[in-house]
Amino acid sequence: VPAGVRQALWLTKTKLVQGLPARVLSIAEEPSNLLEDQEERARRAISRARFWDTTEVAPKRENYCPVLFEELLHLCRVMTMKHPSLAKRMLARNYRIAATWERESFLLQVRGLNGILLNSMAPIPPVASRDEVAATEEHTLETFYPILPTIDLQEVTVYRELDDTGKSSSFRDGYPYCHPHTLYFLESANIRTNRFRPEQLRAKMMMFAFGNALAKAKMLYGNDPKVLEQPVVVQSVGTDGEVFQFMVFQLNTTDLVSSDGIKNLVWIDSDQPLYEKAQCVPEIKKRVVTKPAGIYGFQPDTFKKFLALYLHGTV
Amino acid sequence: MAAPRGWRLARQGRCWLSQAEFSAAPAPPDSLYPPIVASATAKSKAAKRRRLEHFYQRVHEAASIEEKLRLYGLLQRPKYMIYPQTFAINADRWYQSFTKTVFVPGLPPRAASEPAGAPEPGGAAAGGATGLAVPKPAGAPEPGGTAEAPQPAAEAAPEVDLGELRSLACDVLLQESFYQNKKRPFLYRDQDHTPGPFLTQLISLLAASLCRSNPLLAASSLDLNPEVNYYWHNGEEVVVHGHRKGRVDPVRFQIDDHPRLQIRVPKQLPEVVPLEADLGNVPVIDHKPSKLPLFKKQYENKVFIGSKVADPCCYGHTQFHLFPDKLKRQRFLNVNLEDQIEVTYRANGIASLFAWTAAQAMYQGFWSEADVTRPFVSQAVVTDGKYFAFFCYQLNTLALTVEAIQNNPRKNICWGTESKPLYDVVEDGDVKGFNDEILLQLVQFLLNRPKEL
Repeated sequence: VPAGVRQALWLTKTKLVQGLPARVLSIAEEPSNLLEDQEERARRAISRARFWDTTEVAPKRENYCPVLFEELLHLCRVMTMKHPSLAKRMLARNYRIAATWERESFLLQVRGLNGILLNSMAPIPPVASRDEVAATEEHTLETFYPILPTIDLQEVTVYRELDDTGKSSSFRDGYPYCHPHTLYFLESANIRTNRFRPEQLRAKMMMFAFGNALAKAKMLYGNDPKVLEQPVVVQSVGTDGEVFQFMVFQLNTTDLVSSDGIKNLVWIDSDQPLYEKAQCVPEIKKRVVTKPAGIYGFQPDTFKKFLALYLHGTV
Repeated sequence: MAAPRGWRLARQGRCWLSQAEFSAAPAPPDSLYPPIVASATAKSKAAKRRRLEHFYQRVHEAASIEEKLRLYGLLQRPKYMIYPQTFAINADRWYQSFTKTVFVPGLPPRAASEPAGAPEPGGAAAGGATGLAVPKPAGAPEPGGTAEAPQPAAEAAPEVDLGELRSLACDVLLQESFYQNKKRPFLYRDQDHTPGPFLTQLISLLAASLCRSNPLLAASSLDLNPEVNYYWHNGEEVVVHGHRKGRVDPVRFQIDDHPRLQIRVPKQLPEVVPLEADLGNVPVIDHKPSKLPLFKKQYENKVFIGSKVADPCCYGHTQFHLFPDKLKRQRFLNVNLEDQIEVTYRANGIASLFAWTAAQAMYQGFWSEADVTRPFVSQAVVTDGKYFAFFCYQLNTLALTVEAIQNNPRKNICWGTESKPLYDVVEDGDVKGFNDEILLQLVQFLLNRPKEL
């Protein structure tokens, strides 16, 4: 899809803000939120995923992408030492979502296996202030006349409008960890054409984050379309093992039929590399080692943002 | 496949046959003639002895651990593949004889400095509760009704809140089996549907919560579905058929294990008993290993602990094994083999832990001709989702080859428990019959650390 994120913005009636919200960035920079020798540990996590995890010389992407993700998540979980309320989180793998909404005479639906969902007992407090939310009213959504906004979407006859974090998709009633916190997407296919390109990955992240937020909002506030008093915030992280995409989605309204009024907000921080290159075997040209083995171009900020998104909501 | 330029094609096969390798013996200064040694290429026992000595010398002088491992597993011959998770009858006795292991029922007594977390009434906390804050479980349900007052030990070790962890475990169990709506499990893949994710989630959360009490866990590395391999020789046999018929060969074994989860740490666990301790007898089996049944195959001789030598977390802490559907309890009960249920747990514990500790020892440079100078200790939890069995293994010796075993009085030791259920049944969003002892044992396993930490 050529206009991946732009189409998703129209479909979910959202306004885009580049970069992560200020609150998340301040959590990332706060020194008390850092682990001891965090940079060294992040490097070790990357080395483990890219070099040491296998008996072969170099692991394939479908091995190292999930291993890297698990290692980073393990590092984040170690922060439970400092913030005990982080223990109130639960991961759900193989998680299915279904959400339906109407958008200017199109009935749209998001369904299926998305990534790994991190649930928490307490919801994330709204990121944007009320003024910012009200200011979205003046923003007009970008349309792509003459292309229909629903281009490249699969048209399906739906017999049951499934719409829940409840019945047939995800979790039963009474589940204590009922607030979706972060969705993680791992693009770990070996062949490049089987992976989503960054633009599409961002669009996929946004659609699923929106689906989760919408389902949660409908569960909390009912099915009537209205502007939400307490916006629902869902975060999303997507990676292919090297480059990370971060996203924070705030659902302000479930009134999606018309294109006017309060819009939802999304903050996207795209294409953050964690490292440039991981050299497994030293590069030798004409019997001289030109590039020794190791990690090149390590960016500690990317891991700080990952950790900040994990800590968001409890700090 | 074209070899890249600049690489010399490595000489495969038996490099030691070339005369150039053998001519390095220096002459003593008072003699005009080179020393008289056996031939290197003749078909004689002395020549074979000399070739063996030369191989040992090469491995001893290897430049790095990777080189040592490569030379150790250089020669490929058919070898017995040992599967830790097996339904063979009395497999644990056979595995004990292959690995020279003594099995001691029950777990080793812990040192007094461990936090005695047994849930007793909180009266004793009056004098002991120093300034360490107790994280009270916010409204957590207490099904057992037992007071979970944390017991500070004599040296004021950080307390462990068992009630909090119990509610955590119940939450994980309920999420995996009750709350999350999943599709029906695939045929014969029941274990991947519920117990697998339950174990993964439980251990990750427990390890994260216990980081405060055990700083070793904070520096640890958690592996999901790692690979553990070990290759060794034990005993002798005569080659039965083929072009090498009639020759006397060592019996080779290889373990290729895939635990569900594994925790590796940068510092070694303390020894349980001294290196030369003798706690029992190793069972002696008079039959050939192929009678177990075990089958031979020839492939790469791998030694691997879960990550390569360069990883700083090179010592093992705890492994977690999940039984596949083939080894469900009901299957054993259907064919009237109830006593073999415990045998499967023991066999899994002994084989997996021997492979892991021995591979750790090889990563430190020890091998069958250079025996370990300090014992290597690791732990394992074997489960089928509901029943848990705990094992602790101490590796005292790697010298299991025919030559080395003659003068070797040391034995490896494995302590293990019987399998007990963690809970009775899960219904209607409630866990019935939760067993605190199992959780306590799990927590104690995770809190195990060297004395100085």
